[in-house]
Amino acid sequence: MTARLHRILGPAVLAAGLAFGPGVAAGPEDDTLRAAMTGEILNLDYLYTTRREYIIMANMTDARLFNMNPETQEAEPSVATSYEFIDDMTVEVKLRDDVRFHDGSLLTAADVAYTYNWVIDDGSESHAQTLISRWLDRAEVIDDQTVHFHLAAVNPLIIRDMAQRVPLRKDGSYHQGDEPDFDAMAIDHIGVGPYRVASFNPGVEAVLERFDDYFGDAPAIENIVVRTIPDVGTQQAEIMAGGINWMFNVPLDVAQNVGMRPDIDHLAGPDLRISFIVLDAAGIVEEDGPLTDVRVRRAMNHAVNRDEIAEFLMGGGASEGIHTPCHPVQFGCVQDVMRYEYDPERGRELLAEAGYPDGFDLDLWAYRERPVSEAVMSDLEAIGININLRYVQLESLNQARAAAEIPAYIGSWGSGGVPDTALIARVHFSDTSDRHLSGDSEVVEWVMAAEQTADQGARAEYYRQAVTRIAEQAYWVPLVSYTANYLVTSDLDFPLDSDGVPRLENSSWR
Amino acid sequence: MLNYIAQRAALAIAVAFTVSLAAFVLLNIATDPAYAIAGEDADPEVVEQIRQRFGLDRPIWVRYGEWLMNVLRGDFGVSYYWNKPVSALVAERVGTTLTLAFAALFVTIAIAIPLGALAALNRNTWIDRFALWVAVSAQAIPNFWLGLILIILLAVTFPIFPVSGDATWRHFVLPAFVLGASSVPPVMRLMRTGLIEVMGSDYIRTARSKGFRGRSLLTRHALRNALLPVVSVLAVQLGHKVGGSVITESVFAINGLGRLALQSILGADIPTVQMLIFIFALVFVAMNLLADILNAALDPRIRIG
Repeated sequence: MTARLHRILGPAVLAAGLAFGPGVAAGPEDDTLRAAMTGEILNLDYLYTTRREYIIMANMTDARLFNMNPETQEAEPSVATSYEFIDDMTVEVKLRDDVRFHDGSLLTAADVAYTYNWVIDDGSESHAQTLISRWLDRAEVIDDQTVHFHLAAVNPLIIRDMAQRVPLRKDGSYHQGDEPDFDAMAIDHIGVGPYRVASFNPGVEAVLERFDDYFGDAPAIENIVVRTIPDVGTQQAEIMAGGINWMFNVPLDVAQNVGMRPDIDHLAGPDLRISFIVLDAAGIVEEDGPLTDVRVRRAMNHAVNRDEIAEFLMGGGASEGIHTPCHPVQFGCVQDVMRYEYDPERGRELLAEAGYPDGFDLDLWAYRERPVSEAVMSDLEAIGININLRYVQLESLNQARAAAEIPAYIGSWGSGGVPDTALIARVHFSDTSDRHLSGDSEVVEWVMAAEQTADQGARAEYYRQAVTRIAEQAYWVPLVSYTANYLVTSDLDFPLDSDGVPRLENSSWR
Repeated sequence: MLNYIAQRAALAIAVAFTVSLAAFVLLNIATDPAYAIAGEDADPEVVEQIRQRFGLDRPIWVRYGEWLMNVLRGDFGVSYYWNKPVSALVAERVGTTLTLAFAALFVTIAIAIPLGALAALNRNTWIDRFALWVAVSAQAIPNFWLGLILIILLAVTFPIFPVSGDATWRHFVLPAFVLGASSVPPVMRLMRTGLIEVMGSDYIRTARSKGFRGRSLLTRHALRNALLPVVSVLAVQLGHKVGGSVITESVFAINGLGRLALQSILGADIPTVQMLIFIFALVFVAMNLLADILNAALDPRIRIG
C-alpha cells in the first residue's frame, strides 16, 4: 500500500519538493551537528542554572579548573595544571598560561579568584553558591598563574566541585555597571570552552562554533546547533527527516522503533539516576503507623520485583534492580548490604508477623514513570497492602512532602552526573531536608561526617555504615537504575560515558 | 453604539482581571515556581534561595495585590523563567502568533466557504455528504494528531515542508493547515445553513423570476446575505486562533505566544502566564465585540444598544 502510494504520489511530490526547495539537512556536509532538546535553554551561564540541559551546554562553552575523567572518576588537569594542599585549610592551584577567553583575552589567576569570590558572595545569588560556600572562605591571587583557596571547612568534594560546578569567568564579568548584573553571561556568553557562542535565541536555538584558541584538544565537529523542540514526536520526525542528528531522553518505545531505521542508531547508555520508595519510618505522617515497623518495610522490599521492572519497563540495558539508596557505581555505595530478593510469600509472612495479616491502606505518591509506579503498586497489593496511588506533578508532591502529608513516595535522583554518594545522601538523610523520613539520627551523623573529612578512606567507611543501616532497616525500597536512551544519525559517532552525562563536544563524524 | 462598545470594553477588562485572579490562585495551588525553576534534582537550599529571590515566600494575596498594582501602572513584571520583562517577551512573539492565526484563518476560509456553498447548492447529494464528512472529521481529529500525521506525510515521507520551526513562510504551511482545520466545521456548517436559508427566501425567488441563474444569482444575491453570520463567526474564530495555538505551536516548535503559554505553565512562570491569560481574555472578548459590531454594520436589521 505504501509502495503504491509512493508510486502514485512520488513524481508529483518530487516536483513539488523541487519547487519548494530542499530543507536543511543536518550532518557532515556542512560539518554541523544539530541537536534537539525538550527543555528550553534560556541561560548559558551555568553559575545560574542547574538542569541537565545546562550541564550539556556548559561542557561545550566553558571549562573548569579540572576535568573529572568519567571512567576513572579522577580529577585531571584542565585550566589548572595541578593542585596542592599547602596546609589543612589552603589549597594552591597552578594554572596554565595559554588559556584564552572567547573574546581573545588571556585567563589569569585574577579571573579565577574573581569567579570563585563572586560565587560565594551573598549578593551573587549563584546557584553554585550553597555548594561552594560549604568549603570556600575566599580565593586569593598569588601570581598570574597561582591561586590560593582559603577554606572555610574541610570538605572531601573540593576538587570535584572545582571540576564540575564552577565555570570560569573574566574578572569583572558581573560588575560592568553600578549594580551587579546576574545575567551578564546569560546570553552574551564568554567562556573558555571548546565552543564559543555564535548566536543564541533563548528557548529557540543556540549556535556554537569551534573555538580555535581553545587550550585543549580541538573538537572534531566545527559547529553545533542546539534547538529546543518541546515535542518528542516532532524531534522524532526531525531526526527521520534529517533535520537533527541527536536527541536524548528518548522514551524507550520511540528509541526502539526509530532506532530500527538503517540511518538512525538507538544508543542506550548508563545514567546515574535511580528510583526508590521513601518510607515514613519515623512516623512523621502517622505516628505508630505500619511503616514504623521494620517488618512491614522489609515486607515491602520483598514484594517488589525490581529486576523485572528494570528489564521490561525500563528497557534493560544499563538499567537494573538496585538494593542500595545510591547508584552502585557511586563512591561509597557499598553493595554488600542486606538484600531483599523478590519473594511475595515472605512479604506476606512479614506483614502477618507485624500484625497486618490483612494488609493496610497506604497512600503511595509518585510523579515519574507511571508504568513503574503502577507495577510497584501491583506488587505491593499482591502482598495485601491496599495502595492508593497518588500520581501527581512533581510540584504537588514537593508541596505535600513539605507539609508532611506523604507516608510513602516513589522518588528519583540523578546526582547531576556526580558518581559520589554525597549528594543523594545529603539531600535524603539530613535533618534539614523534608525528604528525610527515616528519623535515624545515626545515619544523619554518618552522612554529615562523611562530608567533613577529606580522607577518602574515612568517607567510604561513613557511607558504608549509613548505606548498610539504611538497607538493614529498610528505610527505602530501592527500585532500579536508569538507562539513558539516545537517537543519533548513523553518520555521527557519539561516545557514551559511564557517568551518564552527554558530551556532545566529544562527537565526531564517522 | 458608542455606549455599547464602552460597556463591552469595560466588561472585557473585568473578565480579563477575573480570569487572571483565577489563574493566579490555581497556578499557586498546583505548582511551586521555585521548584519548577530550580529543576527536579535541585538542592533544597537552592530552591529556598530562588523562593526568596522572587519573593515567593510571601502570602499569595500579597503577591497578587502587588501584581495587580503593577499592572495598573502598565508593568506586567519580570518573567521568573526567562528573567526578562514579560511585555518584551510577549512583544517578541506576538508577530509570529498573529502570522499563524491569520494564515490559519485563511485556510479556514479557503476550505469552509466553498465547501459550505457546494453542500448547500447540492443538498442531500454525495457532495453534501462529503462536506459533512469533512466537517465531522475536522471536528473529531485532535490538533496534535493531525499535526504529526502531516509532518510524517509532508515533511518526512515526502519532504516538501520543514518539520518544525518558524524561520520562513514554508514553516507556517502545515501548522496553519492544522490550526485552520479545527475551524472548518462551524464555518462550513454555518455557510451551508445560511445559504440554504437564503436560497429559499422570497427575494431569491424574485431574482430567479427575473432570469438570474447560476453564478450571477449566487454571487450577486445569495452569497452576500449568507456570508453575514459567517463573518461574525470568523471574527470569533480569529480569537480562538490567537489564544488556541498552544498545541499547534508546540508540535511545530513555533516560537509564538501559544508555546510561550505552555512553557510558562509548565515552568510555573506566574508573571508570564498572568499576562498571557490577560491578553487572551481581552482578545476573546474583543473578537466577540467585533463580531457584534460587524453584524450590526452588515445587517441593518440588527440594532445594538
